Amino acid sequence: MRNQKRFAALLLMFSIVLTMFSGCGAGDRAASESDAVLGSGSSVLKIISGSENKQLETILEKFAKQEKICIEMTYQGSLDIMRMLGEEDIPYDAVWPASSLWLTVGDTERRIKHAESISISPVVFGIRKSLAEELGFVGKEVSVNDLLEAIRSDKLSFCMTSATQSNSGASAYIGFLYALLGNPEVIAAEDLQSESLKTQMKELLSGVDRSSGSSDWLKDMFLEGDYDAMVNYECLIIQANRELEARGEETLYTVYPYDGLSLADSPLGYVDKGDDKQEELFLKLQEYLLSEEAQNEIQKTGRRSGYTGVSEENKEVFRADWGLQPDRVLSPIKMPAADVLFECLDLYQTDFKKPSLTVYCLDYSGSMDGEGNKQLVRAMEQLLIQENARKNFLQASENEVNILIPFDDTIIDTFTAVGNGGELESLYNKVKNQDIGGGTNMYNAAVQGIEILEAYDLSQYTPAIILMTDGQSGGYIDDFKSAYTQLGYDVPVFSIMFGDADETQLEELAQYTNARVFDGRENLTDAFRSVKGYN
Amino acid sequence: MKTKFIGLGILAAVILVAVAYTFINNSSKVTEISGYVGGEKIGLLEDEAVQDILRDKYKLTIDYAKAGSIDMITADAAGRNFLFPSNQTALELYKQVNGDPVKSEIVLNTPIVLYTRGAVAQAMVDNGIASASDGVYYVDMVKLTEAIESGKAWSEIGLPQLYGSITVGTTDPTKSNSGNMFAGLLANTLCGGVADENNLDEILPRLQNIFRKLGYMESSSSDLFDQFLKTGMGAKPLIAGYENQLLEFAVENPETWEQIKEDIIMLYPTPTVWSSHVFIALDEAGAAGIDALLDEDIQRIAWEKHGFRTGVYGAPADAEHFDVPGIAKEITQVAPMPDANTMDRIIKALS
Repeated sequence: MRNQKRFAALLLMFSIVLTMFSGCGAGDRAASESDAVLGSGSSVLKIISGSENKQLETILEKFAKQEKICIEMTYQGSLDIMRMLGEEDIPYDAVWPASSLWLTVGDTERRIKHAESISISPVVFGIRKSLAEELGFVGKEVSVNDLLEAIRSDKLSFCMTSATQSNSGASAYIGFLYALLGNPEVIAAEDLQSESLKTQMKELLSGVDRSSGSSDWLKDMFLEGDYDAMVNYECLIIQANRELEARGEETLYTVYPYDGLSLADSPLGYVDKGDDKQEELFLKLQEYLLSEEAQNEIQKTGRRSGYTGVSEENKEVFRADWGLQPDRVLSPIKMPAADVLFECLDLYQTDFKKPSLTVYCLDYSGSMDGEGNKQLVRAMEQLLIQENARKNFLQASENEVNILIPFDDTIIDTFTAVGNGGELESLYNKVKNQDIGGGTNMYNAAVQGIEILEAYDLSQYTPAIILMTDGQSGGYIDDFKSAYTQLGYDVPVFSIMFGDADETQLEELAQYTNARVFDGRENLTDAFRSVKGYN
Repeated sequence: MKTKFIGLGILAAVILVAVAYTFINNSSKVTEISGYVGGEKIGLLEDEAVQDILRDKYKLTIDYAKAGSIDMITADAAGRNFLFPSNQTALELYKQVNGDPVKSEIVLNTPIVLYTRGAVAQAMVDNGIASASDGVYYVDMVKLTEAIESGKAWSEIGLPQLYGSITVGTTDPTKSNSGNMFAGLLANTLCGGVADENNLDEILPRLQNIFRKLGYMESSSSDLFDQFLKTGMGAKPLIAGYENQLLEFAVENPETWEQIKEDIIMLYPTPTVWSSHVFIALDEAGAAGIDALLDEDIQRIAWEKHGFRTGVYGAPADAEHFDVPGIAKEITQVAPMPDANTMDRIIKALS
């Protein structure tokens, strides 16, 4: 009896300690779901933000420590944030997308208050300096057509975020549309129907090497790989260059396309749920971020901030040898009206972007029985049944290829579907009806995926392998490495984790192929959206 | 030790009774009225000096929910004592739907103006689109509209650093009052008078064309103004807004204003239109709000701290105390807004 009591007390203490260490706790969402926990305290501010604001974490942390509160940051692409605003429940206190456009369009219920721009950064091209010189882009005004010319003649390929998930990708894409349409005053719905536009845009987007669901992830991926150029915010080009310079590698030269420029104004807004205390805390944070001191710090990260442009003190952040122009008058293109804009995004997803070629390696080993399998089936339903996929701008395009490899410790089968019609949707039945059992060998499945990819002309697709697995895998990564080397092509191997997946094994694969591991245990749909942003 | 606690207890009890007494005493006298208010007046209603006068002199507190000027007419007004829209069209619509209100009166006024930067204002003056007299800038609406309709590029008026053609950034006229009123102003300009049923058919396609060129539009006047100030000359070279926005900003953010005031220019359209803030009382309790808001001191605070001109059209205002150059003493060149039915057709055409 006594022992039991003591045990209970111990358990209680243990759980208290556990809560203390698991970050902010208190709220209805577990802290582990956020991407960063800054400071600690019983008051918690949950912010959902574009990943570009990862660079501001130290500035946010300073506030959190000063106020003895906890700030939980969750990162997502701005268009994903926009879609979340349309949902009934917004599980955050504040939203911080890259552009106020997505805030206004998404906030149909008018639940966002006090939105104010925190900093400004234009969407630009960062091109390896020697290549920029070779292309004649250094020290002159460059139009979108100049860039297109370089892409058409295969002299330039680039990375950009998904236009249907992230603001920087969407902005660049709209800039491309204007250029291909001959720079009309504003894009109209009828302009989008032309066949020649389709041909040209496809050609242009075929120059995209790799993609991602949000801008800072793109920068990270860029730094891990060997690419010539990326479309991103000016501030992230600066961040990337700092890293490249520190490594002694070639830096990027910044090109501001004068007829295709857009600005991210980074609005931070409050989600009004009638809680005065949270509102007060939010306003305090906003005031801090807009204070002269914090604005100066923000400027040092390469953002333009304040009412008066880049200060003398911070001019050196915007280095001329990196092509930066702190005094440039940033004159952006007009965004089309909301209905036209969404039509543009639909077309990107279904007709224009490079078709994706995705191999799904699905774990049907014994340990997936029950919840794991249920989640997997539900996730594939969201993706394969097009009516569901459309809601999240994840619908398939007419030429894309989806391959399923159900596996345990053997390859169970392979199924291929081309396009976005019945063939694709029928894959769902295969997913649903597959039996479960046996051990796990994901390397086997991944090798099989690589072998299948060898039969395709990969330059015509955005290829990826997506592993969905829970178990610790048998087999050897070296088998995979030798198959990968033989393929000789930059194919990322992403993973979505279930159950007690061994993250180290999955991370190893992700690092080797410049990919990422996503946690499907918290929110599988989110994990899926993130993965799809990369292809 | 014990007595000390008892003493503390008694003290606490006394304080509690005193607080409760004052509270009950006050609340028995002060009446709360509630209604819908256009967002641009929230700064005024939240002003503590205004709240003090309302409470002490008029025994009133004003509770509000934010709503668009047209939306609030059709919204459910159950339990509301008043509506406080930002234009008279709303009053006309109210009368059409519900008949005459218990009482209504224009409490505040502010003209629609354009905001721009020094270099753009200078180029507009050089090209005869704007003029300056006694340090006050005026914009010739006919010439400006001509430039917009003909698709003239900024570079053609000497601003090669700006991409694209001349436009005025406005809020979405179907969602926000300032955009709505600017659409009315443009309609007036296009027909050379006040737009009405007789000339509307002719000008609607032209109006649609002007707004189509704007593409995406903000839905809130304050967001548009914030972006104008922060994103710089390139992003928002010329926008439409209320005169009181800049005056209020300069009073509330004196340090920021000091840094940027050289470059920010306010232009008065000739003619312009008034954004008239009509207080519509739905019952007798609401009617008390009209008398209170017309209080001399509240009217003075409304002007000096929030930039609203008084309810009397054209009364000269003392602009000296604002640290804002180029405020017109009197607004003399004003045209009435098109009537409610005409505005309704305009908005439908722009939706």
